[in-house]
Amino acid sequence: MITQEKYRTTVKELLANGSIKMAIGYRPGSTSDRRRPLFIRTSEEADQLVLDSTCITNLSGYLVTEGLLSDEKRVGIFLRPEGIRSINILAAEYQLNVDQIIIFGFDFTGREVRALQGQTTGDFSALLSEIRENPPLATKEPLLERIEKMNAKERFDFWQQEFSRCIKCYACRQACPMCYCRRCIVDSNQPQWVNTSSHTLGNFEWNVVRAFHLSGRCVQCGNCDRACPVNIPLRLINQRMAKEVVDGFDHFAGLSPTQEPVLASFKKDDTETFIL
Amino acid sequence: MAKIGVFICHCGENIAAKVDCTKLAAAMGEHPGVEVSVEYKYFCSDPGQESVKKAIRENNLTGIVIAACSPRMHEATFRKACAEAGLNPYLCEIANIREQCSWVHTDGDMATAKAADIVRSMVEKVKRNNILQPIEVPVTRRALVIGGGIAGLQAALDIANAGQEVVLVEREPSLGGHMAQLSETFPTLDCSQCIMTPRMVETAQHPNIRLLTYAEIESVDGYIGNFKVRVRMKARYVDMNACTGCGDCITKCPVKKISSEFDCGLGKRTAIYTPFAQSVPNMPVIDKASCIYFKNGKCKTCQKSCELNAINFEMQDEFIDLEIGAIVVATGFQVQNTALYGEYGYGKFPDVITGLQFERLASASGPTAGRILRPSDGKEPENVVFIQCAGSRDPSKGVRYCSKICCMYTAKHAMLYAHKVHDGKTHIFYMDIRAAGKGYDEFTRRAIEEDEASYVRGRVSKLWQENGKLMVRGVDTLLGKPVTVAADMVVLATAMVPQPNAKEFAKTIGIAYDEYGFYNEAHLKLRPVESSTAGVFLAGACQSPKDIPDSVAQASATASKVLALFSKEKLEREPVIAVNNEATCAGCWGCVLACPYNAIEKKDIRDRSGKLVKQVAYVNPGLCQGCGTCVSFCRSNSLDLAGFTEKQIFAEVMGL
Ligand SMILES: Cc1cc2nc3c(=O)[nH]c(=O)nc-3n(C[C@H](O)[C@H](O)[C@H](O)COP(=O)(O)OP(=O)(O)OC[C@H]3O[C@@H](n4cnc5c(N)ncnc54)[C@H](O)[C@@H]3O)c2cc1C
Ligand code: SF4
Ligand code: SF4
Ligand code: SF4
Ligand code: SF4
Repeated sequence: MITQEKYRTTVKELLANGSIKMAIGYRPGSTSDRRRPLFIRTSEEADQLVLDSTCITNLSGYLVTEGLLSDEKRVGIFLRPEGIRSINILAAEYQLNVDQIIIFGFDFTGREVRALQGQTTGDFSALLSEIRENPPLATKEPLLERIEKMNAKERFDFWQQEFSRCIKCYACRQACPMCYCRRCIVDSNQPQWVNTSSHTLGNFEWNVVRAFHLSGRCVQCGNCDRACPVNIPLRLINQRMAKEVVDGFDHFAGLSPTQEPVLASFKKDDTETFIL
Repeated sequence: MAKIGVFICHCGENIAAKVDCTKLAAAMGEHPGVEVSVEYKYFCSDPGQESVKKAIRENNLTGIVIAACSPRMHEATFRKACAEAGLNPYLCEIANIREQCSWVHTDGDMATAKAADIVRSMVEKVKRNNILQPIEVPVTRRALVIGGGIAGLQAALDIANAGQEVVLVEREPSLGGHMAQLSETFPTLDCSQCIMTPRMVETAQHPNIRLLTYAEIESVDGYIGNFKVRVRMKARYVDMNACTGCGDCITKCPVKKISSEFDCGLGKRTAIYTPFAQSVPNMPVIDKASCIYFKNGKCKTCQKSCELNAINFEMQDEFIDLEIGAIVVATGFQVQNTALYGEYGYGKFPDVITGLQFERLASASGPTAGRILRPSDGKEPENVVFIQCAGSRDPSKGVRYCSKICCMYTAKHAMLYAHKVHDGKTHIFYMDIRAAGKGYDEFTRRAIEEDEASYVRGRVSKLWQENGKLMVRGVDTLLGKPVTVAADMVVLATAMVPQPNAKEFAKTIGIAYDEYGFYNEAHLKLRPVESSTAGVFLAGACQSPKDIPDSVAQASATASKVLALFSKEKLEREPVIAVNNEATCAGCWGCVLACPYNAIEKKDIRDRSGKLVKQVAYVNPGLCQGCGTCVSFCRSNSLDLAGFTEKQIFAEVMGL
C-alpha cells in the first residue's frame, strides 16, 4: 500500500513538471486478481493506479505501440525485473530509446510489494546480473522438471499434445513484448510457410517458429502463457531455449541496452566455420 | 500465362543411357504451363543452342528449363543463348539430370521418374522467376600479392610488367620464401640463390610494385574489384628511409647466439638482423624478444653504432589501408614438425636432420659454406641415409597426400652429397619413386646410375645410436629382408604442410580450405587458380604441395586472371542479392549485425514533409554477396534473395 501511494505521488509530480508525458501502470480488472493496463496522463488518472502482487503482466510491449515514442518525449512505466530486461532487449533491437523511458521498478515477495531503486535501465544492471546468477525460485517450474526427465519421444508427444489444442488466435504473440514485428512470418503468405488453419502440423510449425524467434530474447515474463486461452504452458519452451542460449553462447538476454542480439551476431574468430 | 520451354539433353549417352528422354519429354509436355518439351543429343552444341533460341522466338516462351548437366558446366552458355533470343537470361533454369540423376543411378525407370521430379520442380521455379539485370561495379586496378616466395614474386612481376599496380606484402623481413633457402634445384641443379635473387631485386626496384615487408594482412573487406585491405606494418625499429643496409649494427650487436630461422637452427644470428646476406630489402629488423634493450632497458649498442641514426626504439606497428581490385594469395607452405616422428629420433639425435636443413648445409651461403658437415661434431659424414615420405602418405600422422617434391629433392640431395663427398655412401629408403615431370625421371636415374645412390624400397621402423653411429633398421620389401644401415647422418624428407596459421588466415581473407589447410580452388580441373571467392586467386604451395616450376606456372596463370579482370572498367555481377521489403521490416537491425559482408545499412523512411516515419534495413547491391545469411535471420521474413526467392524455392520444393 505504501509503495502504491508513494508511486502515485511520484507519477503526479513527474507529470506535473513535464518530465514524462504518460505513465503506464495497472488498474483494477474484472475480478480482484486481475489487472488492466492504465495509461496515466493526468493527476486524476494517477489515483486509479494499483500496485500489488497481482500486477504481474509485463507492460513493456505497450511502449512499442506505433508512434508512442516518436515525439521523443519521455514515458514512465511500471516494471518488474523481467520487464526491465525486455526494455533492454527492445533497445538493443532499436525499437526504443532507453533515454525516453523512466522506470518505476517494483517487485514482490509473497504479497509484499516493494519499490526497486532507480529510474533508468542502467540503474538496475547490478540487480539484473544478480538475477542471472541466482534466478528467482519462481522460475523453477515443477512441470519443466518433469519435461526435462522425459525422453525425446515422450517430450515430442507431450508438446504435440499441447500444441494440438492451439486455436491460432495469436494471443501469445500479441501479449509478448518481443513480438513487435509489423508483419509476423505466419502472416506471410507468399509463400505460406506456416499453415494458418489450426491442425496439428501447422500448430507445431507456428509454436516452434515462435520458440526460435524468442530464443535469446525471451525474459520469462509469462505474458504468453497467461494470454493463451487454451492454457498451453508456452513459457516453458522459451525458458528452455533461454537456458540453451546461456549454455551455448553465454548470453543472458536483457542485461543491457547495448547487448548484441545473440542470434544476429557472430565472431570472426569463431572456431566453427559456418559463416566465414 | 506461363509458356515454358523444356529442353531435355541426352548428353550423348551420359543421360540417355539411364533416363528415357523420350518418355521424359512427353511427360513434361503434359505439365501445366509447358509450351514446348523436346529432346536432343547435345543442346550445348551449336545446332542445339540454335534450336533453343528458335523455340524461344517462335513460341514467345516466358522461361526455359534446360534438363542437362550441372549448372556449373553450362548455365552461362544457356543464359547467353536466352539473351540472344531476346529472353532475360535469368528466366533460364538448369535441371541437373546428369550429375544428380543419370550418373548416380542404376535403375533406368527410377532414374527417369527422378528426372521428371527434378525437371518439374525447375519448371515450377522458372514460372515464378523475375527479370533481373546484372549489377555493374567499378574495378580498382591494383593487385595485392600476399607472400614474397617465388610464386608471389612471379605473380607480382607479371602483373607489374603488364603495366598494372601491385602491392606485395611479405610477413618476413625479406623476400624469398623457401626458395631462398635452397641450395641447388632439381631437375637442372642450378643454384637457387642465383636465379632467385635477381627476381627479388627486380621486384623491389619495379616502379609498379609497392613492396611491404615485415607486414601482415590485418583485415580484408569488400568484394571483387573493390577490396579494402588493412596491412599491419610490424615495427622494425629501423627507419627504412635512413638505413643504407651497411650492417654496422649487426656486427656490433652483443646478442649473437640466436638460432637462425633461415638456417633452420644450424646457424646463429644477432638480435638486430637480416635473415640472410642477400636479403631484399637489405635492411635489418630488431627481434624484440631477443634484444637486451627491450628486456631490461639497457644496451642500445646498435643505435650507437649507426651513423645514420636509423634505429628507433620507439617505433610502433603502423597500419596502411589499401584499395585493391584483385588478391593473389601466395603464402606458401612449411615443412612438417618432425617432432611427430619419435621413431626417427629427430630432436633426440643431432645428426638426424630435415631435408630443408640439408639444403642449408649444401648451400654455398649456408652455415657451413656449402660443406656437408654433420651438426653434432662438424665432421664430414661418410654414410648418409635418406628417409623419404617422412610424414607424407601416412594417415596416422594426419598427412594422407603425397608431398610431391620429396622424391625429387632426395635424389638431388644424394647427388649433391656424392658431388661433395666423393667416397661417401648413400642409402635412400623409399615407398615409390615418383618422378613425373619434364626431365624428372632422367634426374632420378642419374642419381642412381651416375651418383650411385642406393635405393632401398621399404620403410624405416627404428633408429637408434650405437658406437657413435646412427643405426637405421628397415625392410627391403623387394628382397623381403630386414636391413640395418650404420649411418653418420640421417636426412628426413618431411612432408610439405600448410602454414601454421593457414586456416585463420583463410578466414581473414574469406577463402575456403581443405581438411589440411591448403586453399581450395574454385574447380580442381577447370578453375585451378581461382579461389572460391571471386577476385581472390591462388599461386604456389599454399594450394597444394608444388615444386618451383609448378609454382611459377600457376603464378603466371593468376597474373593472367588478374590482368583479364583489370582489362575491364566495370564488372558485371550476378544480381543474386538480398532485397528488403521496407513495408514489413521491423527495423530490428539484426540483419545488419548478421551480414558477414557489412552490406546492410540503416535507411530512413520519411514522409513528404521530411518527418522520419521509421527506419528500415537497406541492402547495398554493390556489397551484398548473396549469401542469404540475413534472409534466414530476418524474423519478419522481410528479406528475400533475388533469383532464389522464398516463393521460387517453395514452388520448387512443392514441384517435387
Ligand atoms: C627441402 C626442400 C627442397 C626443395 N627443393 C626444390 C628443388 O630443388 N626444386 C624445386 O622446383 N622445388 C624445390 N622445393 C620446393 C620449393 O621450395 C617450393 O616449390 C617453393 O618454395 C614454393 O614457393 P611459394 O612461393 O609457393 O612458397 P614459399 O616459398 O613458402 O613462400 C611463401 C612466402 O609467403 C610468405 N607468407 C606466408 N604467409 C604470409 C602471410 N600471412 N602474409 C604475408 N606473407 C606470408 C612467407 O614468409 C614466404 O616468404 C623444395 C622444397 C623443400 C622443402
Ligand atoms: S515469450 Fe512469453 S515469457 Fe517470453 S518474453 Fe514473450 S511473453 Fe514473456
Ligand atoms: S495464445 Fe495459445 S492458442 Fe493462441 S496462438 Fe498462442 S499458443 Fe495458440
Ligand atoms: S532483420 Fe528483418 S526486420 Fe530486422 S531490420 Fe533486418 S530486414 Fe528489418
Ligand atoms: S545476402 Fe544478406 S547477409 Fe548475405 S551478403 Fe547479402 S545482405 Fe549480407
